[in-house]
Amino acid sequence: MCQRRTSKYEDIIFAVLLLIGFSFIIGRFTSTVNFIKNFIYYFSYSNLSLVNYVFHSVENLADSIKTIVHVRRKNIVYKQKNKELADKLRNYKAVVEDYDNLSKLLKLAKIKNFVSVFARISVRDPSKWYQWFIIDKGNMDGLYNELPVVMFNKKKGAFCAVGRIMETYSSSSKVALITNAFCALPVEIKGKGINCLAEGFNSSLLKITYIPCDTDVKAGDEIVVSELSSVFPKGTPVGIINEVLGEPYIDFKTATAKVFFEIDNVYKTVVLMPEVET
Amino acid sequence: MKKLVYYAVLFVFSFVIQFLCSKYINVLGIFPNFILLVVVYFGLSKKTVTAHLMGFLFGLMWDVFSTDIFGVRAVMFTIVSYLSGRIFKSFDINEIFSQFFIVFLAEVIYWLGFTLIPFIILGNSVPAADYIEIILTIIIAPAIFRFLNKVILV
Repeated sequence: MCQRRTSKYEDIIFAVLLLIGFSFIIGRFTSTVNFIKNFIYYFSYSNLSLVNYVFHSVENLADSIKTIVHVRRKNIVYKQKNKELADKLRNYKAVVEDYDNLSKLLKLAKIKNFVSVFARISVRDPSKWYQWFIIDKGNMDGLYNELPVVMFNKKKGAFCAVGRIMETYSSSSKVALITNAFCALPVEIKGKGINCLAEGFNSSLLKITYIPCDTDVKAGDEIVVSELSSVFPKGTPVGIINEVLGEPYIDFKTATAKVFFEIDNVYKTVVLMPEVET
Repeated sequence: MKKLVYYAVLFVFSFVIQFLCSKYINVLGIFPNFILLVVVYFGLSKKTVTAHLMGFLFGLMWDVFSTDIFGVRAVMFTIVSYLSGRIFKSFDINEIFSQFFIVFLAEVIYWLGFTLIPFIILGNSVPAADYIEIILTIIIAPAIFRFLNKVILV
C-alpha cells in the first residue's frame, strides 16, 4: 500500500463532517434534511437504475449465451445418437430384408410384428377398478377391438399383459382388464410348459384354473401368455403364482396369481397393433 | 479534475459492487461490507481528507437508500476512516493478519456506532451485529486490499 499522506486540515474536516452527520441525525425530520435526502435520492437513483438496467441486460445476455451453449451441447449428443440410430436402422432393414428373403425361400409363416401405440388412461371408474378403463386412443389412431393392451413393468423390464380393447370409438377405447370377471386368458407356467387358464374375478388377483394335479406348481412360479392366446403375443408376462389350492380328489388344482402390471398405478398403457404388411 | 472523475468512478463502482453484485455473489444471502473495506483502505493509504470525504459520502449515499436513521452511516464511515488513519498507522498493513485485525476492529467500531447511536437517540433496543457479514468482510479483506492496491491511483 502507498504511504499515508497527512493534511493539516484533517482534524478540522473530520470535525466538520461529524458535525454535519450528527446534524443530519438530529434534524432528520426537518424539511431541510428531508430535502437534501430526497435530492440525493433522485439524483443517484436514476444512475443506479441505469446501472441496474445494464446489469439486467448483461444477465439476460449471459443467460442467452448459456442456453446457446447448452443447446449446442445437446445438439452434439443428439447428432451422435441420431447417427447411432441411423446405423441401427440400416442394420435392422438389412436383417428384415434377409428375413423376408429366407421366409420366401423356406416358405415359412412370418412372425407377427407389433406397432406400439402409447395411450394415456382418461377414465377409470373406482367402482369398477379391476374391470375396465378408457384410454385416449381410438379408431383415428388405427385401434380396433381385441387388440392387446400392455404396460411396461420397470422391475421386470418387459411389457406385461393388462387387458384387451373391448369397444373402440373415434378417439377413445374401452379396455377390459385381465382381472375382469369376463376375461379368461390362456397362460402357461414359465419354464414348465404347463398350460392353464387365468381368469379374472374383479379383484387384484387372478384365478389360475385347470392346473393338472400331478404337476409341480408352487408359489413364486411365473405365468406368461401361452401360444393358445389369440390376443397377446406368446410369452407376455402376466403374473406370479401367489398360492396354490389343491384337493387330492379332483383332477385340477387352482391357484391365485398376482398380476405383474401395477394395478393401482397404471396411468399409461401401450396397445400392441399388428404391423400391416405393405 | 482527472482525479475527481477517477474518485467518482470508484465511488459508483463501489456502490455497484455493494448493491448490485450482492444479488449474484452472496453467502446465505449475506454480502460482505465492501464499502467499509474501501473506506478502511482509503483511511490507511490515501490522503486523509479524501478518505474522510469518501467515507462521509459513502455513508450518506447508503443512508439515502436505507430506512435506518439518516446520517448514522455517514457518521460511522467518517469515524472509521479517521480511526483507520490514526490508530492503525503503526500496523504493517501489508501483513494479512494485520489486515484481518484492522478490518475486525473497523467492523466492531462500525457496528458499535451503528447500534449505539439509534439506542441513544431513539432508545431502541440494540440489534445484534450481523456476525456472518463481519466474518465474510474480514475473510475477503486481503483480496480486496490487494485489488484496490492495483486499481487505485497513488
